[in-house]
Amino acid sequence: MLHALIAFLVLLAATIFPSTAGAQDAPLTRQQEWLRQREAKSKSLKPYKPGSLEAGTLYVQKEKLLERFAEGWKGIHPKLGGLSTGSGFAGGIRYAPRIADGQLDFQTSGAISPKVYQFYDLKLGAPKLLGGKLVTEFYSRYRSYPQEDFFGLGPSSRTQDRTNYALEDSLFDISLGWNWTRWFRTGVTAGHLKTNIGRGTDNRFPTTESVFSPAALSELAQQPSYNHLDALLRVDYRDEPLNPHSGGKYQLLYSYYDDQKLGRYSFRRLDAEVQQHFPFLRKKRVISFRALASLSDTNPGQSIPFYMMQEVGGADSLRGYREFRFRDRNLLVMNLEYLWEAFSGLDMAIFGDAGKVASRRRDINLKDLESDVGVGFRFNSIKSVFLRVDIGFSQEGTRFFFKFGPAF
Amino acid sequence: MNRRTEAAKSWERTWQDDAVSPDETSSGKKIVSAESILGLERALPDSDAGTRRQTTLRLSVPLWFAFWVAATLFFSSSSASAQKFRPDDPISKDEDSLNVPDPKSAGVADYYDFLENTFFGPGDKRHIRALNVNTLGEVPDSNWFTNRHGRKEMTIEQLVQGPDRGGPSQEKKWQVIRNKLGGITPGFRIVDGTGTTYQLKFDPLSNPEMATSAEVICTKFFYAIGYFVAEDYLVSFARDDIELSPKAQFVDLTGKRRPMTAKDVDEILSRAFKGKDGRYRAVASKFIEGTPMGEYRYYGTRPDDPNDIFPHEHRRELRGLRVFSAWLNHDDSRSVNTFDTLVKQDGNQFIRHYLFDFGSTLGSASLFAQKPRAGNEYLWEPGPTFKSLFSLGLWVRPWIRVDYPNYPSIGNFEADFFQPEKWKPEYPNPAFNNLTNEDAFWAAKVVMAFSDDQVRAIVKTGRLSDSGAEAYLTETLIKRRDKVGRFWLNQLNPLDQFGVDGNALLFDNAAVRLLKGVPAADSYQAQWHRFDNYKQTQEPIGGKITAKERRLDIPSAAFEGPSDGAGHYALAEITTQSSHYPSWARPLRVYLRKNGTNVSVVGIERE
Repeated sequence: MLHALIAFLVLLAATIFPSTAGAQDAPLTRQQEWLRQREAKSKSLKPYKPGSLEAGTLYVQKEKLLERFAEGWKGIHPKLGGLSTGSGFAGGIRYAPRIADGQLDFQTSGAISPKVYQFYDLKLGAPKLLGGKLVTEFYSRYRSYPQEDFFGLGPSSRTQDRTNYALEDSLFDISLGWNWTRWFRTGVTAGHLKTNIGRGTDNRFPTTESVFSPAALSELAQQPSYNHLDALLRVDYRDEPLNPHSGGKYQLLYSYYDDQKLGRYSFRRLDAEVQQHFPFLRKKRVISFRALASLSDTNPGQSIPFYMMQEVGGADSLRGYREFRFRDRNLLVMNLEYLWEAFSGLDMAIFGDAGKVASRRRDINLKDLESDVGVGFRFNSIKSVFLRVDIGFSQEGTRFFFKFGPAF
Repeated sequence: MNRRTEAAKSWERTWQDDAVSPDETSSGKKIVSAESILGLERALPDSDAGTRRQTTLRLSVPLWFAFWVAATLFFSSSSASAQKFRPDDPISKDEDSLNVPDPKSAGVADYYDFLENTFFGPGDKRHIRALNVNTLGEVPDSNWFTNRHGRKEMTIEQLVQGPDRGGPSQEKKWQVIRNKLGGITPGFRIVDGTGTTYQLKFDPLSNPEMATSAEVICTKFFYAIGYFVAEDYLVSFARDDIELSPKAQFVDLTGKRRPMTAKDVDEILSRAFKGKDGRYRAVASKFIEGTPMGEYRYYGTRPDDPNDIFPHEHRRELRGLRVFSAWLNHDDSRSVNTFDTLVKQDGNQFIRHYLFDFGSTLGSASLFAQKPRAGNEYLWEPGPTFKSLFSLGLWVRPWIRVDYPNYPSIGNFEADFFQPEKWKPEYPNPAFNNLTNEDAFWAAKVVMAFSDDQVRAIVKTGRLSDSGAEAYLTETLIKRRDKVGRFWLNQLNPLDQFGVDGNALLFDNAAVRLLKGVPAADSYQAQWHRFDNYKQTQEPIGGKITAKERRLDIPSAAFEGPSDGAGHYALAEITTQSSHYPSWARPLRVYLRKNGTNVSVVGIERE
């Protein structure tokens, strides 16, 4: 009974209450409503706290870590990769201080890989003389590559004959170049090259001298030292040399290597390169062609050490074959690529390569070419390809290549 | 992210007024406490808990029923809780200048912004009405936006002047105080004879006049539209007109400082286009007033700013920015090109939000002509990428085939291929992604407010020396403007400019008024309702009526519903019949309020 009475009173109050409530509480205005929200928020203000990934990215940006990494520390930069294929991932440092307000280009570097490949060089140049027309440079290099592959000479060398040897050489060059226009350059280089080879350290394969006798390859016993002279003629009107989508490059390089030490290994060489890029659909599609020919010649009684011969195979020539797969005095390599843009940071490629080596110049023709096909990924910016992944397929299997630069 | 989503949901509820408001919550608490006031708990036997719960349940049924009825009655008539229209609706200004006690500058990481927006899709993605609009669906003035040309037509002089209030004085030599940091264009900072600091930005060598004209022209447009922008001035100077301040600093890419030299200045100038008269052309951007507070994101709110209560992805002026950006090809409309500044005014300090850096607009990409991809595809977009990848390039993106006229001072800008609804910035923008037809309708009307002559006058402020280029740019902007209008004004019922004349509701058709060659509607169909502002219920009055003219008689019984103290309400649901534009038949709701003899339009909703 009591509860029923209370319920009645509550209901009675409720029927009366609305009219009084409406009269007492003036409706909130929109401004008041929003102000209330703002006042409520003002009681719990706090600074924006980014998540860990965002905070990390902000830190990198704020501290300019990428720029600092690129800029180096007091001219000192990390040096990553860049040695011979098969060396393992090399690391080292490069010292390139800013000298004479950029008028002088001085660089020196050293790198070593897990397989104890070593590379040291020094460059001193004046690239901006006479308004950039005249280029002068001194370059010196020492390298020690203990596991270089050699399969034998000629196009019929066999994969099962794979051997390895240690290559060591020192180079001292002086170059003079003249830029006639932005795209036309001539130049000469004179220098001294001292070579040395020894037993390879890759135990998986025999050393070269254990398979190929010094009778067949006399340079296994003694190695020459050269004075050399090069002459260069180059037309290069590619849009971006490190990521070309249009234009072409035509280059002739004539070299003479004079054996100063033994007098048995002097030779001449003419290297010719033609590359042309045919863009269409606003450079989103490109057909690129490159042909390389290298012809070497010796005087009677002279020969060319195998390690000074040109080689075919690998990331820059026949991509379905191992690096250094074929060697001989002369070579011909042709590459055809079709590039298409998947998105602005990735170009895809379908390619076909063909090439051969030959001991005789007249055998450099289009007969009996080794060939491969493949597909490639080029992660790039406008200016350069920063990662190239090429997968080549040939009768000798499938090869994967990871490179920090364009195919050609 | 959850926190932001909850905030958005909360605001949606507030807008819809169909859920418990903060006031109701507090009222609810009163009811709970009323139970103890009545002493019911104390009246219960003090036995074990189980018995007590059971007893409570048994004894409370009639009382709880009574309370439920009472509460229902209370809430159904509670004044401030559920009303759709507030006494001050529609508001024209959002008073968002509450004091911000201790804001902290918070930057946006450029690469993270790209990654987050490209791959993680931040922000609240629900398709809801913008939360900061007034009941007419308009954007109130605030520290984000000031209605200018869209609300009241600006004169040609005002449009040409834009935000500019003077520009650098050239009576004395400018003092170079530092190289330009950030951005990609070459430049440096100067102080003029009055002590005012400006940042100078130049044109690339390949495209003289391109970046500077785009910057100045779009600054004028965005200002007239209503955004806060920096003052930008086109200036011309010779090398002798500037000198190095003794305290000038050069900050390199790694952030290291050293004294700036004349050679540094020359090196920067060597990357800038120099005219035949030996003078350099540049944009002088005046430093924005206040303390820099970083950039704003296109989603969420600043947790240190009490005024920032509407998630940015649900702000109409930020959603609508997609329409403006499409028109002007502002593909770089992302967080890094925004600017928050702390402004002190009348003893308060609050944050004002700017758009910043229009170098990548129109046909310009600042350092080179705009890429054809810009505006047509994100930097990374899975669909086109995989189509291209797996078709071996045989599938060709449509925009690749677009041709552009050769105007170096304009870059790549065209109107024939342009599709306003498909336009895209460099990477996804959460506010742009939430654009609704209603947002776009609002923005398109602002775009269409620029007449041919006004567009021409603003383009002239870019001072393009090639009259052919100037004419082409003007023509292209006009064509793009018309495309924007033609698409977005026709996605819904385009009736607007509602007004009351005596006993009639008058209106106009924005599509017919603003677009060339759009035929008038065949007829208008309306259903009148009495509207209860508290209950948000409507009661039809008679049947549907059809009108041939843009005028609907208001039934005498329209305002016979309950008053909320501010007036009585009526609602007209209108559809527009057109054989050319079926989308005009989408319903539009117009709310009227009668206070005494005064009848006014208080709300407009479009579907």
